Amino acid sequence: MRTDPDLAADAARGSESAFAELVRRHQARVRGMARRLTGTASDGDDIAQATFLTAWQKIGTYAGGTFAAWICTICYREFLQVRRRQRVEIEFDETAEIIPFDRSAADTGDKMDLSRALARLPEAQRICVTLCVAASLSHREAAEATGWPLGTIKSHVTRGVAALRKDLAATQVA
Amino acid sequence: MRDQDTYADLTALFAAEDREHEARPFVDRVMGRIRAQARLRKLLLGATGLGGALLAASQLPKLLADSVGLDASLTTSILQAQENISALASANPLWLGIGAIVMLSLAAVAATERA
Repeated sequence: MRTDPDLAADAARGSESAFAELVRRHQARVRGMARRLTGTASDGDDIAQATFLTAWQKIGTYAGGTFAAWICTICYREFLQVRRRQRVEIEFDETAEIIPFDRSAADTGDKMDLSRALARLPEAQRICVTLCVAASLSHREAAEATGWPLGTIKSHVTRGVAALRKDLAATQVA
Repeated sequence: MRDQDTYADLTALFAAEDREHEARPFVDRVMGRIRAQARLRKLLLGATGLGGALLAASQLPKLLADSVGLDASLTTSILQAQENISALASANPLWLGIGAIVMLSLAAVAATERA
């Protein structure tokens, strides 16, 4: 099986089939990440789509390393652009309030416990858990993607994971 | 122990959730947008080129009319330059090689340029 850097090199030379293979390989991770960041499937898929379109235009700048981290960084920036357009500021402070998602009860009704527990986290923790736990980026990669200090990432992940476990355990008991 | 190992179980749960996303329609949608953008770019470039060509063609009669009055030395110079190039190429085939490399480079750029 061809590696991601090989496919990216072919895509940079204009191969649409190589890029399509990259999209197929990474779409689940990117869509999952975008959906978790936005809180809705449709907004998430729009961001995921924009992510791959940007990746196609910038594929020549991919300089090796983990392709997943590269594409997730683009996804996070697309998410930030959308948020800026919506004039919603992300609170980086650990004491941040929970920013509720705008979605109907019908939409949330069939969500898995995991997604609901994630949605209850403060935004900064949700972003860090989404990047590091759900999208499997290393703490360093997440720090590079967000521009936040490494220690802040670690702290948010630790707190977020603890809150997730607590929430999931409470759900199972109930 | 790596940081990720402490929450590998949660990562597996998220990954299972992600695997439920159907890949095919999404990939088709993304690639469709990419191809549509490429078509639009080609259309714009073609239309611009065609417009430029039409504009140039419309000026051709005026250019030809003016050229009648040009000094005959221009024709002489062009002919002289052609002779010089031929003489240079036959005297030193390196020039032919350089010319070929330039042509190949242009062809390569044209062929590999992102549509």
